[in-house]
Amino acid sequence: MSRETKAFVRGVKVSERHGAGEWTAERLSSLILVPLTLWGLWGGWTLSGAGYDGALAWFRSPVNAVLLAVTLLISLWHMNMGLKVIVDDYIHKPGSRGALLGLIGLVCLVLAAAGVFFIVRLALGSAPLPAGFGV
Amino acid sequence: MSSPPVSRDAANDPTNDQTSRCGAHPNGRVRPLSPHLQIWRWHVTMAASILNRMTGSALSAGAVLVVLWLLALAFGSEAYATFTGWMGSPLGLLVWFGLTLALFLHLAGGVRHLVWDAGSGLSLKAADALSWLSIVGGIVGAVAFWALLFASGRVGL
Repeated sequence: MSRETKAFVRGVKVSERHGAGEWTAERLSSLILVPLTLWGLWGGWTLSGAGYDGALAWFRSPVNAVLLAVTLLISLWHMNMGLKVIVDDYIHKPGSRGALLGLIGLVCLVLAAAGVFFIVRLALGSAPLPAGFGV
Repeated sequence: MSSPPVSRDAANDPTNDQTSRCGAHPNGRVRPLSPHLQIWRWHVTMAASILNRMTGSALSAGAVLVVLWLLALAFGSEAYATFTGWMGSPLGLLVWFGLTLALFLHLAGGVRHLVWDAGSGLSLKAADALSWLSIVGGIVGAVAFWALLFASGRVGL
């Protein structure tokens, strides 16, 4: 494929590689997070001062557990894209940039995996950790 | 090879710059720098944009704290009591107020950017008004949220 190829939509030059997709993903995640953030604030209100039993009761509602998992995952996706833009803006050495982007991606993945793991256990009413993990 | 063009305007001569407005590029040529933070006169759209980036970064730390909250809850009542003990201390409450403020500001700022991305509110007057609205609205929202938390007795010092 020639690097000279130009893509036009209605006479306007558009991104030929991943730029347009990244732009759309940033806006799409923002749009979804608007109602989810308002719901999260309501959840924070409910859980404030509710104590251990109140929090466990909150998690036994499947709607709460599923919405919290969705909010966490989309937030981490949004966070990954936002931090990437900051690194792209200020870190110009390819090695440092790549290392930082890898580190940020890894942190987001670990937070996502750990968060969903805890949410699933809480939603299922599993025994407190480290139950069943041989400790 | 042609030499770099010499400016006729002595005050703007990039080869004899005393103002740090110019920088040497990797190819050795001296070129004027684009205006940076300390050069621009502050205006509200710029402040709101920087604020959105700062609050977004702060919320990354907030995401870590939320996962720590889940961890404490999943590890049982003792771990949860330790966690809420830290987070309910004056310092902990201050951290969570800061995160709430960042969340409200980032939410309002995000909506503002979505409005702009849809092509609305881009005149100078409307852009300034939207920026002020998102900043003031974000602060008022966070303060009101915490005032209600204290007033309802859910949170106390």
